[in-house]
Amino acid sequence: MKRSRPARIALNAAAAAFCAVWIFPVYWMVNSAFKPAGDMLTATPRFLPFPLTLGNFAGAVGKPHFPAYLANSLIVTGVVVAVAIAVAFLAAVALTRFTFPGRRGFLIGVLAVQMIPGPALLIPLFLSLKSLDLLDTLLGLIVTYTAFVLPLTIWVMRGFLHGVPKELEEAAMVDGAGQLTVMRTILLPLVTPGIIAASVFSFIVAWNDYLYAYVMMKDQSRYTLPVWLASFSTNLGTDYGGLIAGSTLFALPVVAFFMIIQRRLVAGMTAGAVKG
Amino acid sequence: MTVLTKARPARPRAAAPTGAAARRRRRATPYLLLAPGALVLLLVVGYPLVRLVLISFQDYGLRTLFTGTAEWTGLDNYAKVLGSDEIVPMLLRTAALCVAMAGGTLAIGTAVALLMRALGPRMRTAVTLVLITAWAVPNVAATMLWTWLFQPTYGVVNWMLTRLRVFGDFGQYDWTAHTWSSLVLVWLLVVWQSVPFVALTLYAGLTQIPADYYEAAALDGAGAWRRFRVVTVPFLRSILLLVTVLSVVWDFNVFNQIWLLTHGGPDGATSTLVVWSFTRAFASQSYGQGAAIAVLATGLLMALTWYYVRRLVRTGEEL
Repeated sequence: MKRSRPARIALNAAAAAFCAVWIFPVYWMVNSAFKPAGDMLTATPRFLPFPLTLGNFAGAVGKPHFPAYLANSLIVTGVVVAVAIAVAFLAAVALTRFTFPGRRGFLIGVLAVQMIPGPALLIPLFLSLKSLDLLDTLLGLIVTYTAFVLPLTIWVMRGFLHGVPKELEEAAMVDGAGQLTVMRTILLPLVTPGIIAASVFSFIVAWNDYLYAYVMMKDQSRYTLPVWLASFSTNLGTDYGGLIAGSTLFALPVVAFFMIIQRRLVAGMTAGAVKG
Repeated sequence: MTVLTKARPARPRAAAPTGAAARRRRRATPYLLLAPGALVLLLVVGYPLVRLVLISFQDYGLRTLFTGTAEWTGLDNYAKVLGSDEIVPMLLRTAALCVAMAGGTLAIGTAVALLMRALGPRMRTAVTLVLITAWAVPNVAATMLWTWLFQPTYGVVNWMLTRLRVFGDFGQYDWTAHTWSSLVLVWLLVVWQSVPFVALTLYAGLTQIPADYYEAAALDGAGAWRRFRVVTVPFLRSILLLVTVLSVVWDFNVFNQIWLLTHGGPDGATSTLVVWSFTRAFASQSYGQGAAIAVLATGLLMALTWYYVRRLVRTGEEL
């Protein structure tokens, strides 16, 4: 379908306008983060951050407890990703390499779990963790996030394992390799792309969650980064320079991840909700 | 593998399980593999779900937190929630906001997907990168950014609106102080964050439609709108259904954006069922009522997405 010249110009103009509007908030975040403190609060906003300064970043990172918050976020996210991937891999092997009673029921259960609104589980989980004395512990958050990411990771891994021909393993079994060896040396390397996709999704859930961390972490030193960011505004006012620089730092790893896996992004997101 | 075969040419099936014990072990293997995942899901999703329903029938309040015993009160919590003056506006607001956010997201997302298909490769890449960047900004970071963009006095959006000279002086305008502007603020944020997923998913679907179909339709004299209705929409039906359901589910459950921007205010004007359940439970320490609201919200969401879930379970035949 060839388009006339005016039509093409109109299309490109529409696309440019869309890009300008949609990127503007991010541009403004980066612009504000690099501005000197004096340029933040001006009657006429400054559209370029010159002279550049890292003062806002230094201010955000230098806030009390920042290293603890960063460590909390990193520990929680790291453990959730590792555990979720290991557990999901085993489950996906069971679901794709064996037929057994209850298999279909489990798959439907995994699908159904994703329709349950996350905030609905907040009250019972809070009360259960409270009676187990697991509030204010990273363990409580880790277990919660792991359960929340499992359905999607199982589903994604299952999709990838489906693509690995059974003949490969059968050949290895014929050659005398045990089931564990087959899993480790044949299946695992072949599903690496699936593991990467599933890790990124688990990473994002654990890294971005605010609600559960906000409710379960009452002790200030136990905050994760999102809770810390949200606590920037106080009754005395908001340090916008620090807040925006902190938000930029917090968003950076996720933007980088999204850029790296952008090709798989859509496939992975929809895999959780539609079959195969 | 070839090396292994050469090493043991005489007994190729030596390791294949034989005997009753080995068969039993083999039958148990899938359950062992599944056990960790099933255990975590049962403990952290299944059990809390049951407990949520139980709590909704109990007088679970601050006292219960210390004594550990809660009294059964039957339908009391539901009666209180459903009998409250807030319930009707709350339901209407939740539904309207959800429809407005999901509808806006789908309309803009579809338009962008169609636009992307019509663009040249370079401009399309630019749109894709913009979408991915906006999509990647974490929820809380985006919400904090919104407070800065729309800040009274120094917010850049207020400044631009004032310069437009259409709406009057927005210099000191406090978005969170008025009902409609608070709703607009939340709507803009949620739509900004949700459009990328919808646009990219629909675009991926669009690229799967063979060009022949359009050519055939064009030969039959179909105009652009007719081609869209006769070729594009039927082809995208299942993907459209998927993104619609996901948008409804996500927008129904929006919490962070509302809570961090407005705390459900001013005067409850931006509170939805999810926010209400949260404040009942954690601000008023009435966990029973909060649980009742959460059960109602879950039921409502299930009813809204019933058609889709049924379709999913039906395709379960091929799982």
